[in-house]
Amino acid sequence: MRQLARALAFAAGALLVPAASVAETPVRGGELTFVVPASGFPSMDAHRETTFALIHPLRPFYSLLIMANPDNPADPTDFVGDVASSWTESSDGKTYTFKLRHNVKFHDGSQMTSRDVKASLDKIIFPPAGVPSSRKGMYSMVDSISAPDPYTVVMRLKFGSAAFIPALANPYNWIYKADILAKDMDWYTKNVMGTGAFKFKEYVPGSHVLGVRNPDYFIKGKPYLDGYRALFIKDQAPEVAAIRGERAMINFRAFPPKTAEDIKRGLGDKYAEQQSPWNCVLIATPNHLVKPFDDARVRRALSLAPDRWQGSKALSEIAIVKTVGGVVFPQHPLAASKDELQHLAGYWPDIEKSRAEARRLLKEAGVPEGFKFKLHNRGVEQPYKIVGIWLIDQWRQIGLDVEHWVEPTAPFYATLRGKGKEFDVSLDFNCQAVVNPIVDVTKFLSNDRAGNQYGRYQDRTLDAIYDKIVRETDKAKLEDLMRQYEKRALDTEAHQLITLWWHRTVPYNAALRGWKVSPSHYLNQSLANVWLSPPG
Amino acid sequence: MLHYLLKRILLMIPTILGVAVVIFVLMRMLPGDIVEMRLAGEGSYVQQETIDNERAKLGLDKPMLQQFTDYMWGLAHLDFGYSMWTGRPVTYEIGVRFGLSLQIAIMSTIIAVLLAIPLGTLAALKQDTWVDYGVRIFSIAGLATPSFWLGIMIILAFLVVFHWTPPMVYTPIWKDPWANLSQLIWPALATGYRYSAVATRMTRSAVLEVLREDYIRTARAKGLWQQLILRRHALKNAMLPVITVVGLEFAFLLGGLVVTEQVFNLNGIGKLFVDAVTQYDYTLVQALVMIVATVFIVSNFVVDVLYAWLDPRIRYR
Repeated sequence: MRQLARALAFAAGALLVPAASVAETPVRGGELTFVVPASGFPSMDAHRETTFALIHPLRPFYSLLIMANPDNPADPTDFVGDVASSWTESSDGKTYTFKLRHNVKFHDGSQMTSRDVKASLDKIIFPPAGVPSSRKGMYSMVDSISAPDPYTVVMRLKFGSAAFIPALANPYNWIYKADILAKDMDWYTKNVMGTGAFKFKEYVPGSHVLGVRNPDYFIKGKPYLDGYRALFIKDQAPEVAAIRGERAMINFRAFPPKTAEDIKRGLGDKYAEQQSPWNCVLIATPNHLVKPFDDARVRRALSLAPDRWQGSKALSEIAIVKTVGGVVFPQHPLAASKDELQHLAGYWPDIEKSRAEARRLLKEAGVPEGFKFKLHNRGVEQPYKIVGIWLIDQWRQIGLDVEHWVEPTAPFYATLRGKGKEFDVSLDFNCQAVVNPIVDVTKFLSNDRAGNQYGRYQDRTLDAIYDKIVRETDKAKLEDLMRQYEKRALDTEAHQLITLWWHRTVPYNAALRGWKVSPSHYLNQSLANVWLSPPG
Repeated sequence: MLHYLLKRILLMIPTILGVAVVIFVLMRMLPGDIVEMRLAGEGSYVQQETIDNERAKLGLDKPMLQQFTDYMWGLAHLDFGYSMWTGRPVTYEIGVRFGLSLQIAIMSTIIAVLLAIPLGTLAALKQDTWVDYGVRIFSIAGLATPSFWLGIMIILAFLVVFHWTPPMVYTPIWKDPWANLSQLIWPALATGYRYSAVATRMTRSAVLEVLREDYIRTARAKGLWQQLILRRHALKNAMLPVITVVGLEFAFLLGGLVVTEQVFNLNGIGKLFVDAVTQYDYTLVQALVMIVATVFIVSNFVVDVLYAWLDPRIRYR
C-alpha cells in the first residue's frame, strides 16, 4: 500500500506544474482580510456541513489528523500529518497506527490526546443515532478505531483500500474535544473549540468571522499572521470591488478568467495569481427512464457530439472550465492519459468522424432528425449556464433540437433527485473536498448503491468492477480496473457524459504570501503558512 | 378618536393572520428542500440516510397540518422558532441585521424629507419657472434611476477615481460614528434620492392643489402674510398625501432594499430575506414576512392616525 502511495505521489509530482513562488522568509504580524463568496454557513459543525463557506472562515481554528501537504498541495497524493506526527501501515494494509504530537493544546489550554481524535473520528464514521455525519459513507472500509495510549490512534480496516488515506485527510475531519462531545454532540454546531493556528474571536452571521493568532499553536513560530477577518460577500461585483479597493486581499475559491483580468487592471503591480486544475466537473446525465435515453446508442451519440478538445480552448476563455478528462480528476495518477481518453466515445481527435458516428447511432436507434428534448440546468451562470449553452450547440450539430430548461438551485435539485421521468437530460455536478478518485467515481454506480447518481440506472457489471477497485491496492491493477470502469461508464454504456473539468484561477493582492493553490478549494486553508509582506 | 383607533387596530388582526396562512402555504408549495440544498447543493456525496435524519431533526417529516399547528401556536406566543439553516433563533438572525436596515431607512427618510418638502414646495410656488423645471428634472431623474444602479455608480466612481470602497463591515454608530457613516451614507444617499423624487413630486402636486383651494384664496383676501398662509394653511393640508408616501416608503426600506444591500454588501434585512428564500429556510422566511407585513400594517396605522390628527373630518366620519 505504501509503495502504491509513493508511486502515485511520484507520478502526480511528475504531472504537476509547481504553483508556488520562490521561497521567501516569512514576516510576522498583520491581519489578513479575505472574501468568502457566500452569505454564511449553516451550522459550525464541519462533520455535518458540506459547504466551503464553512471551511474558509473556520478551518484555521481546527486541526486534522492528517492533511494534504500545505507545502505541496497541488499534488493530490501527498498527505502529511497535522496532529499526527507519523503513521505506519501493517503489511496487509488493514491496520494504520497514528502517532500524535505531544504538544497539541485546545484553545482552552487543555491537552489534546488520542481520546479526542478517536471521539472526533467516531462521530464522523460511526455517528450515534440522530447525529448527522455527511461523510460517513466514505468510510465503508473502516472497522474500528481505538486509542491504546494517549498519543496513539489505531484504525483497523475491513479491507485494504487506496481510498482510505485521502478520505482521512478530508478537510472537514476537524478534531473536536472528547469531553465536550461526551456532554453534547450538538455543541459544535454553534461553538468553536479547536487546536488550530488561530483562536476564534467573533462571528457576526452574514457579515464576518474574526480569528486571532494562537500563541500556543503546536508548530513553533506559526502562524505568522496576528489574525484574520473572513468577510461574507455573496455577489461578485462587491467581491471584486473589495479586492480592487484593497478592503480584502483574496477570495480563496476562484474567479472566472474575465473577472480575474478586471482585478488585475485594478490592482496593477500589486496583482498576483495562482491557477490549478480543479477537482470539480459538470456531468450531463441522461435520464435512463425516459425514452430514447434508455438506449445506450443514443447516450453514446450525446457523448460523441461535443468537441471537448476545442471546447476546452474556447470555454476556458470565458468560464471556469478547462481540462479534458474522464471519470478521474485529470491530474491524478489514476486518470486516463490523453491517448487513453482518445479511445473513448466523445474524446476522439477527429470531431467530424465522431459526429458522423453520432448521427449513425441516432438513426440506428430510430431517433429522427430534429428530435426535441430539454437540457435541465441549474440557474447559476458559472459554469452551469455557459456549459449548458455549449452542449446545446454541440448537440444541434448532430441534428438534435435541445431546449435549455433552467431552474433555480432548490427546484433544480428537487427535479434532479426525483425518482422518475422529471427530466430528459440534466447537468449534474461532482465536486469533492479532497481528491480521492476511488470515492469520487462512486457517482457512476447503480442508483441503489450511489445516492448521488441521478441517471436512474442500475449497472451490476459496473458495480462489480467498482467492488474490485475499492479493494485493490496494487497500482497497475488499480489503473487497469479504473480504465475498465471508465470505458463502461463513459463509452460502452455512456451512462453519463463528463463535460470539462473546472479550472481554478485565484487572483489576489501580492502582499499575501505563503499560500499555495490546490486542486480543491477546500484544501490548504489552515492559514498557518500565510503571511503578509509588508505585515500592514 | 378612541373608537377610530380601536377599529383600526382590530382590522390589523385578520390581515396579519391572513399573511401568516398565505406565507406558510406558499413556502410549502415551492419545489425544493432545505436539507438537499444544504447538504448536496455543492455536489458532495451525501447518503439518503443523512438527509432523512436531518429532515427529521428539522421537523419536516411531520404531517403538514401538524407543522402548521406548531407554527400558528408559536406565532400566538410570539415565538418565531429557529432558523432551519443555521439552527439559531430567528429573532437573533433578524436582530443582528435589524439595526443596519433601520438606520438606512431612517437616514434615507431624513434625506428624502429634507430634499422633498422644500423642493416640492418651491416648485409649486414657482410653477412653470426655471426653478420648477429644475426641480422637476431632478425628481424625474430620481424616479427614472434605480437606486441600485446609482449605488453601483457611486462604488465605481470611488473605486476608479479614489481607489477606495466603503467599509465592508457594519459598525454601530455609537461605537464609531465615522466608520458607520462612511459605510452607510452612500446607500442612504442612493435610496434617499429615489425616495425624495417620489416625495418631491407628491409635495409639488399637493401644494399646487391646496394653493388653489377657497380657504387659501380667503386667507390671501384677508391680507395674511404669504409665509403664514403657506406654513399654517397650505403645507399642513398638503402633507396628507406626502405622509402616506413617506410612511409606506419607510416600511418598504426596512425589508425591501434587496438589491441595494447586495450592491453595497450590507448585512441587512433585505439580504437576509433573499438568502432565506434561496435557502428554503421556511421558519426564517415566515418570520421575515410576518415582520415586514407587521411593519407595513403598523406604518399604515400610524399614517391613518396622522391623517386623523391632521384632518379632523376623518376621525369624525
